[in-house]
Amino acid sequence: MTGYSKEVINDLVNGTLPWPQTRRIMSAYKDDDRFFKYLAVLQDRVSWSDPILLPVGDHLFICDSAEGRITRCECGHSFGDYRKNWKLKALINVRNTEESLREIYPNSDIPDPSWMEIREFFCPNCAHLHEVEAAAPGYPIVHDFEPDLEGFYRDWLGRPLKEVA
Amino acid sequence: MLDRTANSLQQRLLESERLMGETGCYDGITELRLRKEDPLKFETLHTKLRAYCVSAREMARRISASPGVREVGEMVVAIYTPEGDAIALSNGIMVHVHTMSRFIKWMIRNGYEQNPGIRDGDIFANNDAFIGTVQVPDVMDVVPIFFEGTLVGWAGAVCHELESGGITPGGDVCLAQERFTEGLFVCAEKIGENDEIRRDYVIRCERNLRMPIYWVLDEKAKVAACIDMRESVKQLIGEIGLGYWQQLSKEYIEEGRRAQLARTRQLTVPGIYRGHTFYGHVTEGKPGFQPLADPNWLYNIPIEMEITSEGKIRLDFDGTQPWGYHSMNCTPAGMDGGMFVTLTQHMNFEGLVNDGAWMATEINIPHGTWTNPDNEMAATATSWALLLPAYGVFQRLLSRGFIARGFVEEAFVGQVNSPMIEMGGTSQYGSGFGMAHFECAAAGSGALAIKDGLDTAYVGWNPESDMGNIEIWEQNMPMVYIGRSIVPNSGGAGKYRGGCAFISTWLINKTDHLRLVTSEHSSRVFDNGGMCGGYPAPTCEKHHAVRNSDIFERAERRQPLAHGPGTDPLVSDFERTYEGEQVWEEGPYITRPHKAGDIFSHAYNGGGGFGDVLERDPIKTAWDVENGFLTREAAGKVFGIILEEDADGYPQADIDATVARRAEMREERLKRAIPVSEWIAKESERVRTSDFAPEVAKMYRSAMKLSPRFAKDFKEFWGLASDFAIAGEK
Ligand SMILES: [Zn+2]
Repeated sequence: MTGYSKEVINDLVNGTLPWPQTRRIMSAYKDDDRFFKYLAVLQDRVSWSDPILLPVGDHLFICDSAEGRITRCECGHSFGDYRKNWKLKALINVRNTEESLREIYPNSDIPDPSWMEIREFFCPNCAHLHEVEAAAPGYPIVHDFEPDLEGFYRDWLGRPLKEVA
Repeated sequence: MLDRTANSLQQRLLESERLMGETGCYDGITELRLRKEDPLKFETLHTKLRAYCVSAREMARRISASPGVREVGEMVVAIYTPEGDAIALSNGIMVHVHTMSRFIKWMIRNGYEQNPGIRDGDIFANNDAFIGTVQVPDVMDVVPIFFEGTLVGWAGAVCHELESGGITPGGDVCLAQERFTEGLFVCAEKIGENDEIRRDYVIRCERNLRMPIYWVLDEKAKVAACIDMRESVKQLIGEIGLGYWQQLSKEYIEEGRRAQLARTRQLTVPGIYRGHTFYGHVTEGKPGFQPLADPNWLYNIPIEMEITSEGKIRLDFDGTQPWGYHSMNCTPAGMDGGMFVTLTQHMNFEGLVNDGAWMATEINIPHGTWTNPDNEMAATATSWALLLPAYGVFQRLLSRGFIARGFVEEAFVGQVNSPMIEMGGTSQYGSGFGMAHFECAAAGSGALAIKDGLDTAYVGWNPESDMGNIEIWEQNMPMVYIGRSIVPNSGGAGKYRGGCAFISTWLINKTDHLRLVTSEHSSRVFDNGGMCGGYPAPTCEKHHAVRNSDIFERAERRQPLAHGPGTDPLVSDFERTYEGEQVWEEGPYITRPHKAGDIFSHAYNGGGGFGDVLERDPIKTAWDVENGFLTREAAGKVFGIILEEDADGYPQADIDATVARRAEMREERLKRAIPVSEWIAKESERVRTSDFAPEVAKMYRSAMKLSPRFAKDFKEFWGLASDFAIAGEK
């Protein structure tokens, strides 16, 4: 069975594993112990100790915490209950003028701001840009991902999560 | 498995579907008996079938006269069960493995066994998307495989034709607003007997196409590929026995179905995933479009994906827009095909790839929307324009699952919608011609979660992307390249940038009548989104042309030429360099013919970015700037990377200054941004008063009318009363 060291998974996740090695991992059978090694790598990366249960973005995780299961930024900032859309607790910057779109697209053609805007969702604590939506004005904010967290741990990983009050 | 060879095909198809419904397994195959008995033989025989497909396709590419097939590889072949389910396939435009399946089933359901009859040596062709293909230029041929008088399967082949005889030259005919202007239709037609294509069919092609040599020779190439596969399969059955083959072929598909479910459980996380994209079309004031509906429109394409506990993938297009009098509608065959080709690239990277994968998925394409028109007169000539951004979203949704599960190396921001150029008129040889230029089959890809996207090397419909050789294209059209270069900043910004696209610039040559037509989206919206903080790729670039340019005079005076429009979005290098009539056009390019001495440029699209741009590696960025993938301006303004010059004048990142600049940019972000709750309170007023451009308001009215769920979610999100309606015409 395929398996890699935690160091290799760490480099892979950080994008620093040399390409030939990455390429071999892509072409090989998948390593079935990846998930928990991945969690361990991510847990080492964060400065807080609440256990990460599921990554949902590049620096965004569902974790256990004193306030229950929450979505949390890598910096530690909590976006609240993981079942709610974390974006609603974020900071937003909307680019809906030619001038503000031009800042991101200085040398290209840009959309018509009356048809389309860019919405940047930031962490209020560390200012990390977690997600960008390109949407028509008035389009509801998308709830990107609602994982079946309990079902995943119970049925797919065979390691049911502890009941939470 | 029951031996139902004695029954009619139609009965066998119904029985197969009944067994699937009853047992949940393909054709009622609840146990992979042959696989269990001899797994090595099972695998070896599938490899053989796959080899038959790959070698038949390679042989056929050498018969074809079309640079689309020869150079770019716009072809796929597959082997099917008698009921029309794919057992094995070649590489190439795999989207059609499943669309051909629909074509075979359509003939069976429509009584083709009785009339026109299905006999050994027959050749059937189709390019009708409501029967089973994506668009008119995707012409498919299938032949039945008989073994000692018993129908044991089908061999099929598809080529994308470069000319289909529509209202404008090429195949992706954007002027088609109903099927009647899309070109030459072959509707599940028996075009040959005894392994020979009928002369009268060839005559019909010769008299209805602008460049029949492409279509007719491709037809011969496909038939040759089908016969080659048929004979190989017959030989194989001779070796393993008919009964074994019949069980084996079904087990392959059931194995493919189970493998897909297992792969989903292995690589993703169950739950609901959501995303969307948009498409803007601008035809106002353009010649040729009939006034059948509003000239400009905006489409929303929301997609919800559910991954069930079993590992089934359910895609739901509820909430999208109605079909329209334009060429971007799609049929269920096209929607299925798009899903199939995406799965083959993302999840079926090992094991048996066949229609089983598709059976492990479900798709909801609401009747009456562009995904499933309730009017079969709707045109589908450019359905890729909506399919590509839609399945780009699907790739991002799957990628969210890969990231959650830890398989970051598989996460991919996705395929892009990229424009295409077609042409016709008088060739450089003085004859009539028509051709779709297929260098578009090498766009930029979306970024990956661990590295930049592929530059000029990926499209969703053909994982083996290729732009073809300039010299070959020049042989086929009255234009010569004066430039083909990377479009800087065409990949969406991010920690990992999207792959960049390229731009071609041509000098029209040796013709006084060249019609250039492009089949694309406008610049009004982003349709190639980013992920996890990455920005979308730029919109489609506008066209630049110079009529009656002074290029020959400049060349004579030994003055420099402009080889592309440059990086100033407000004034092009053409305007700075050439005398002549400057043209600047958004969206589909449909104008009066060009002639020798005119200059035309056409840019393709890059992919979306991944991750926060302020995490971008400054050293990679310096390399990007040095090599023309990024402008210095974007490096500083967008990425916060301060570049200096080294002793040789090459850009070099100043790491300390970059760190300081980025700290400032983070401060600026926090200063400028507001809490989402505040924004919603303010924005809901705008929604309440329907303060929208007419196209946006219309999009909301249509989506709410077609989808009660969209209407409910929309009103709930903005806190509107249940009887709220967007103001304006009903
Ligand atoms: Zn943070």
